[in-house]
Amino acid sequence: MWATNLKVLALALAVVGFYTVVANIIPQLESEVPEALALGDDVTPEQLVVAGERVFNGAGQCTTCHGLGTRAPNLLTAHAGEGAIGARCGDRVAGQDCKAYLYASLTDPGAFVVAGFGNIMLDVRRQLPEDQIWAIIAFLQSLGGDVTVTGADLPTEAGGAATPAAAGPARSTTTDPMALLQENACLGCHAIDGAGPPIGPSFDGIGGRISTDRIRSGILDPDAEIAGGFEQFAGMMPKQFGDQLSAAQLETLVQFLAGRR
Amino acid sequence: MPDVLALVQAAADTAAASGYGRFPGPGARVAVWIAAQVHLMFAAFVLGVPMFAVITELIGIVGKDTKYDKLSKEFTRLLVFAYSATALWGAVLVFFLTTLYPQFWNHMARIFGPSMWLYVGLFFVESFTLYLYYYGWERWNAGRAKWGHWGLGIMLNVWGTIVMFIANGWLTYMMSPPEGVTVAGLPEGMTTWNAIANATWIPINIHRMIANAVFGGAIVAAYAAYRFLAAKTDEERAHYDWMGYVGNFIAISTFIVLPFAGYYLGREIYEYNQQMGITMMGGFMSWLWIVQAVLIGVLFLAANYYLWLGMGRIPGAERFTPYTKWMLLVLIIGWIVWATPHTMIASREELMAMGGSHHPFLNVLGVMSAKNTAVNIMILTTFLSFLLYRRANKRPTVSWAKAGTMVQAAMFVLSTGVVIFYGIYGYFVAALVRIGFSVYQVGAVLACIIGVTVIDIALVRGAESRGAIQWGRMPERAQYALFVLAVTFTWLMGLMGFARSGIRQHWHVWEVMQDTSEFAATPALGYAANVISVCVLIFLGLVAFIFWLGGLAESAMAKSVAGPTAPIPATAGGE
Amino acid sequence: MPKLREILGHPFWQAVALLVAAYLLFKWGIAVLPPLVGFPSAPVPQSVVLQYMLTALVGILIYVSYNEARWRRFKEPINATLVDANKRWLRATLLVLVPALVGFVAYDQSRPKVSAPLQLRSIHPAPPGQITVRGRTIRLAGLENPLRSRGTIEEHSREGRRVYYQNCLPCHGDLLDGKGHFAHGFSPTPLAFDDAGTIAQLTESFVFWRIAKGGPGLPREGAPWNSAMPAWEDFLTEDEIWSVIIFLYEQSGWEPRRWEVEERAEGAGHE
Repeated sequence: MWATNLKVLALALAVVGFYTVVANIIPQLESEVPEALALGDDVTPEQLVVAGERVFNGAGQCTTCHGLGTRAPNLLTAHAGEGAIGARCGDRVAGQDCKAYLYASLTDPGAFVVAGFGNIMLDVRRQLPEDQIWAIIAFLQSLGGDVTVTGADLPTEAGGAATPAAAGPARSTTTDPMALLQENACLGCHAIDGAGPPIGPSFDGIGGRISTDRIRSGILDPDAEIAGGFEQFAGMMPKQFGDQLSAAQLETLVQFLAGRR
Repeated sequence: MPDVLALVQAAADTAAASGYGRFPGPGARVAVWIAAQVHLMFAAFVLGVPMFAVITELIGIVGKDTKYDKLSKEFTRLLVFAYSATALWGAVLVFFLTTLYPQFWNHMARIFGPSMWLYVGLFFVESFTLYLYYYGWERWNAGRAKWGHWGLGIMLNVWGTIVMFIANGWLTYMMSPPEGVTVAGLPEGMTTWNAIANATWIPINIHRMIANAVFGGAIVAAYAAYRFLAAKTDEERAHYDWMGYVGNFIAISTFIVLPFAGYYLGREIYEYNQQMGITMMGGFMSWLWIVQAVLIGVLFLAANYYLWLGMGRIPGAERFTPYTKWMLLVLIIGWIVWATPHTMIASREELMAMGGSHHPFLNVLGVMSAKNTAVNIMILTTFLSFLLYRRANKRPTVSWAKAGTMVQAAMFVLSTGVVIFYGIYGYFVAALVRIGFSVYQVGAVLACIIGVTVIDIALVRGAESRGAIQWGRMPERAQYALFVLAVTFTWLMGLMGFARSGIRQHWHVWEVMQDTSEFAATPALGYAANVISVCVLIFLGLVAFIFWLGGLAESAMAKSVAGPTAPIPATAGGE
Repeated sequence: MPKLREILGHPFWQAVALLVAAYLLFKWGIAVLPPLVGFPSAPVPQSVVLQYMLTALVGILIYVSYNEARWRRFKEPINATLVDANKRWLRATLLVLVPALVGFVAYDQSRPKVSAPLQLRSIHPAPPGQITVRGRTIRLAGLENPLRSRGTIEEHSREGRRVYYQNCLPCHGDLLDGKGHFAHGFSPTPLAFDDAGTIAQLTESFVFWRIAKGGPGLPREGAPWNSAMPAWEDFLTEDEIWSVIIFLYEQSGWEPRRWEVEERAEGAGHE
């Protein structure tokens, strides 16, 4: 009986193996994902929406808070019964059409905090180039509204400086540590004084747990070393603080945190 | 406690942030792929075998032959086990999808929510019908109650088919979503029903229904082959030999119509989106069809081989043996033509000698006309094998027997002529016209099969027997041929699953929701083949376990029943 | 002679003879026989011979084993060689020869050779949905040759002839057979337009894409990108490309493949 079993097994393996070999010796072609769109001024609104969606879900890290989350308003589907963002963006602020409102709230989010949410959002210009911001706006408009962003809104490569955004966001010069924590949205993920979400390690007692140098390197290069227990959140912390903070601000922050034992 | 909740929320948020979860080892795609494929194979098994069971039960009732009834019950017992395997793998698939592809799953749930509830509900009804069907077998075994029992079997098929149709709605939606759908959901005025009844829904339904019958037959035949090899008595051998024959018959006779359903599906895909059609037939998937040709060639040969070996146990079949080698020759030539690549793998010197990567002479065999012709001729040959097998031990008594046979022969000649004529004519017309020709070829073959079968049924009615089929007198080689059939069908199913799913390329939902995960690129055929092989081995391993369980249950029951059950006569059954 | 007949009647030797005959047919027959009746032919690549031989082998094994009596006779000589006392020398020889043969094949397959590795290109890769030619985006699906709806075909064909002879002739040849005087320097060799498998199978938009984007514009499945075809969008205008396409079809006598527009329109009617 076992001889039969073995024969049947050998036959099945041989047949499966034969097909596998045949499929492996013929030319191997992989169908790759097409290259990301280069957004020129001849871009169509559809292309912008597609690109914007990718930025929204990817590099923009928007979904960190605007996803399922409770940390920010839901943009993708109806929020508070007002429909998706594309449907409600036009009448958020009197006198501002949808496009203007979205651009303003992306670049100066503190001015448009929705009731019930904290002021934790960053100026996206710190993270994304201008054309990707417009792509995100096109994508957000497409969620329940009409896309009015066109190629003309994108900054021209010649550097025409037509948009005020080309100047970049105004840099804060404060050296008040709590203000810095607020401004840079650190408290969106790290708890302090026993309150806040546990996405990153709590700031309470952090000076006692790790060295000052480690705090500094953790701000400048967040993914180099992940605190134990937070592995699943690796990659979430923005990496641009080195460019964004002045040396004085960085040192203030580091010393402030190191002092919390 | 709130901390834990916040953590869970945060973890969900991270998964949502990238839209994808991580899976250790081979990665999320392979995890979902294997879960889906194995679930699908079991699903095909539990949909195909009930069709088989109901048909054999009906034959048993009408023909008052307990042999068929016993066969039917034997299968239903396997079903009970296979059914829970299907459900388990389905659950694995759902959990993998929700944890590894949360955004995509969210999208699907938003669109298909109500149909998912209906699906689960029907699943319940289906399982209870199955339990009633199986456990009520002995209770409702005579008279009107038997018909009621048979009705249960019909209902089992109906529920199963509806369940499959619903799931088909989901997956065809991924291939051909209706116009206007966005990532956010269905547009205004469109219902879930519109999303289910999309462009490729009906063709997939038909294709899968037929394929399930094929698959059911093949698995049944493999089961019988195994039991035949393991049999200790002549009675057992006779029983399982006969069962293997029936399984093979159902598998091959339904398999013959499958290419037509596949053709219809392909047409609808082209109709929906030409780009998708080109990717499928001419683009990066074009080599897949060469592999498919190899597999189908194996299927044709194994099926015919089984029949020819089977003729050794039929008195009177010697009359036909001289023709067998010519049929074999036709099949081999057909297979060679079908699997001849259009673009050949060759070294530089060989390419120079050929003057390009197309061979100046074999090029003729590489195009669609030749391949369609080859496959149609192969179908006709296989049908002829069946016919000879059927006729082997019969001497017709009707007065018009001679004329009838002549008409049958004329039908064969005519349809072969039509197939070859359009095959050759296809070289001289534009591609668009040529595509139309395959419809004529297929039509001629189908007409021949139907016409010849109708005549044959009338012709052998009341025919004299040249001697009963000696069931059980079958060489072991034939049983191994049945295994090859089953393994090949399973692998083919995995391959076609890859083809259907792969033509979406980097889309979760074609041109609606893009795959932005690290696995967005569609893998090459070799990689796909490795995954398919793993799926096939998992499936076959589990099926072997189920069969073994079936054997255990059987021997346990045999012990508990006092006294021997009625033995089956070794020579039972004319056919 | 009866000796020979007896041997040929034995299934084992039949199988051997069939195998040899099949090999001769695939290796040389296909190259030699068709030209005798006027069809062009060429030697068959090794990979295809191997594929054919495997198929033939399966067929022969089925032939010797589908009949019980024949199968038994087929096995006789094998069995005898393996166990008979008087076949000791034959057995020993085979025991040495067979592994040696396997070893030689393995060595031959793996030893370094001067030739380039085998590579395969998909000659007709799936076209992109749209392309950008000279800054203008053109949607390929459903695209027709715009020149067919204006002017006369003769006119366009004449223009196309000029373009062809000024640009394409050196590689694709005077007879459109892919044997121009530069052709022999290239691998892959230039396409022969008189072949039933090239432009005869394609839509004009596909041909337009291939001319405009050339070898550098091949998609991934067209790899390796060693086609010498230039991207003609840098040298020719759109109309020149379209006119040379008309010339190709006029001159070769093929019909371009059409899009299935008529049927689409019908389908849309009852929706």
